[in-house]
Amino acid sequence: MTTAVQVRAAPMAAARRPRLHREGRAAYLFLAPSLLFFCVFLILPFIFAVVLAFSDWGGFDLGTIQWAGVKNFSDVLSFDGAFVKPILVNTLLFAFGSVLMATAGSVLVAYCIDQLRFQGFWRVLYFLPVVATVVAIGNVWKMMYQPAGLINGILNKLGVNSIGFLSDASYALPSVTVVHAWASIGGAVLILTAGLKAIPDMYYEAAEVDGANSWHMFWKITLPLLRPSLLFVLITQFIGGLQSFALIIVMTGDGGPVNATNVAAFEMYQQAFKFGAWGTASAMAMVLFVVIFVITLLQLWIARRRGEETS
Amino acid sequence: MRHRRFPWFSYLVVILGGVAMVMPFLDMLMSSFKGAGEYGVIPYQFLPKSFGLDNYREAFSQLELGRLFRNSVIVTVSVTVSVLVTSSMAGYALAKLRFRGRSVIFRFILATMMLPPFLLLIPTFLIMLNWPLAGGNDILGRGGDGGLTTSLLALILPFTVSGFGIFLMRQFMVSLPDEMLEAAKIDGANQWQTWRLIVLPQTKPVAITLGLITFIGMWNEYIWTLLISSSDPSLQTLPVGIQLLQSFLDPDRTMPIVMAGLVISTLPVLVVFLLFQKYYVRGVVLSGLK
Repeated sequence: MTTAVQVRAAPMAAARRPRLHREGRAAYLFLAPSLLFFCVFLILPFIFAVVLAFSDWGGFDLGTIQWAGVKNFSDVLSFDGAFVKPILVNTLLFAFGSVLMATAGSVLVAYCIDQLRFQGFWRVLYFLPVVATVVAIGNVWKMMYQPAGLINGILNKLGVNSIGFLSDASYALPSVTVVHAWASIGGAVLILTAGLKAIPDMYYEAAEVDGANSWHMFWKITLPLLRPSLLFVLITQFIGGLQSFALIIVMTGDGGPVNATNVAAFEMYQQAFKFGAWGTASAMAMVLFVVIFVITLLQLWIARRRGEETS
Repeated sequence: MRHRRFPWFSYLVVILGGVAMVMPFLDMLMSSFKGAGEYGVIPYQFLPKSFGLDNYREAFSQLELGRLFRNSVIVTVSVTVSVLVTSSMAGYALAKLRFRGRSVIFRFILATMMLPPFLLLIPTFLIMLNWPLAGGNDILGRGGDGGLTTSLLALILPFTVSGFGIFLMRQFMVSLPDEMLEAAKIDGANQWQTWRLIVLPQTKPVAITLGLITFIGMWNEYIWTLLISSSDPSLQTLPVGIQLLQSFLDPDRTMPIVMAGLVISTLPVLVVFLLFQKYYVRGVVLSGLK
C-alpha cells in the first residue's frame, strides 16, 4: 500500500518541481514593479525618516548631515516649546472631537436610513463631501463661517450676534473640527449601513415578540451586533483625524489664530518646508506616528475587553 | 419593527442631515454667480441677483483653468492606469501563483497600508530632490537644480503603486476558479498570457472600483502637489491652483471666482462618481469588511 503511494507520488513531485520553479520566476516578474516601488518610495523614505529624526541637518547637502542623538526629541517634547501644548493637545482634541461627532452622527443616520426607501439615494447624499476636494470643502465652509456668511446670516435672523468662527481663538478649533466631522460622516455611513444589513431580521422579530420597544432594540441588538463595523469606523477615523491637516491649511492658512488650530502634522510640514528644520520636523513625525500607534492599540484593547465582558 | 410603515422620525433625521450635507454645496453654487457688491455684504443673501457667467469667464482667464485642467488630467490618468496595471499584476501573483515568500510579501503589502503618508512626506521630497540623473543631478543625485521636483513626474511617481490596490485585487482574484487557469495552461498559455487574456477580463468589476477610488483620490490630491508646485507653479493642478488664487486678488471679488473654479473642478468627479457610485460604494464597503 505504502509503496504504491510512493511510486505514484514520486513522478508527480518530479514533474511539479520545475513547474513550481517557473511559476516562482513568473510570480516575481509580476511583483517586480510593485516591489521596486516599495523599495524606493516606502522602505528607503522610512529609513531616511528615522535617520533624520536623530540628526541635525539644514539645507540640502547630504554631506553636512550630523548625528544629534535624541536632541530633536527632547526639543520637540520639552514643555517650553509649542509642540506638546497647544499643538499635540489640539491634534487630540481635533481627532477626538471629529470622531465623536462623525461616529455618533453616522450611527444615527445609518440606523435611520436602514428604515427608509431609496437607501442608495440617501447614502450618496451623505457621501458627497468625500468626493469633493478639500479645497472646495475648506473654502465653502470658510465662506459660510464669515461674518457675512450663511451661518452667521441664520444666527442673525434668529437674533443672535455674529460669531467669529475662524477669527476667535476659542471658536477656531471647534469650527474646523465640525467641518472635518461633516466631511467624514459619509464614509462611516456606508460601512455602517453594510453592517446593519448583516443583522438578521429574526433578532428584531424575536425581540418584538418579547415586547421590546425600538429604543431597547437599538441598544440591545443593533449596537452590540454593529460592533465590528463600528470598531473599524472608529479606528480608521481616528487614524485619519490625527494626521489630517489639509483642511486646516485651506481654512486657516497658518494654523491660526496664534496656533489655535495648529496640529502636529501641520507643524511638521511647516518646520520642514518653511524653516528647513528637517531633524525637528522628522522627530515630530515620529512622535505623531507613535501617538497614532498607541491610540490604535488602545482602541483594539478596549474593544477586546468589552467583548469579553459581554460574551 | 425594523421596517415601520411610516418611520417619521427616521425621515426627519435623514432629511435634516441631508440638508446639512447639501447646503454647503448649494452655497458654493450660488456664490459662484454673485457679482461685485453682492458677496461679503450683511445681511447675507442666499440667492445671487442674476445667474450670469462672468465669474466663470473670469475663472478661466485669471486661473488659467485650461492649464490646471491639463495637469490634473495627466496626473490623474497616469496614476490610475499605473495603479490598475501594477495592482492586477501583483494581485495575480499573490492570489494564484505558488512561490517562495508569498505569505511574507503579502504580509508586507498589508503592512504598507499602515504607514501614514505624513511620515514619508519629508524623506520622499528629499529623495525626489536628490534623484540621480534628473534635473541636472549627477549619478549620486548631487549638484542639480531641483532634481525630479521640476517635472510632472514628481506628482505621479510617488502614487504609481498602491498597497490597498494590490490587496483589493488579490482578495478578488483568490475567488476566481482555478480550473479556468488550468485550462488556459493546458491550451499552452504562459503566465503572462493567462494574466492578460483570462484573468484581466474577469476582474472588470473590481478594476472599476479601484480605478474610481484612485481617480477621485488623485483628482483631489492636495498636500503633495502643493509642496512640489510651490517652487514651480507650472506644475499646479486644479485644487492647488484654485486655492493659491486667493492670495493676489481683492478678497470680496476673489471668493465668487474661486467658487466658480471649484464648481468647474468638482463637476468631473461628481459626474464620474454618480455614474459609477455603485462600484465606489462597494469598494469602501469591501475595504471596511475584510
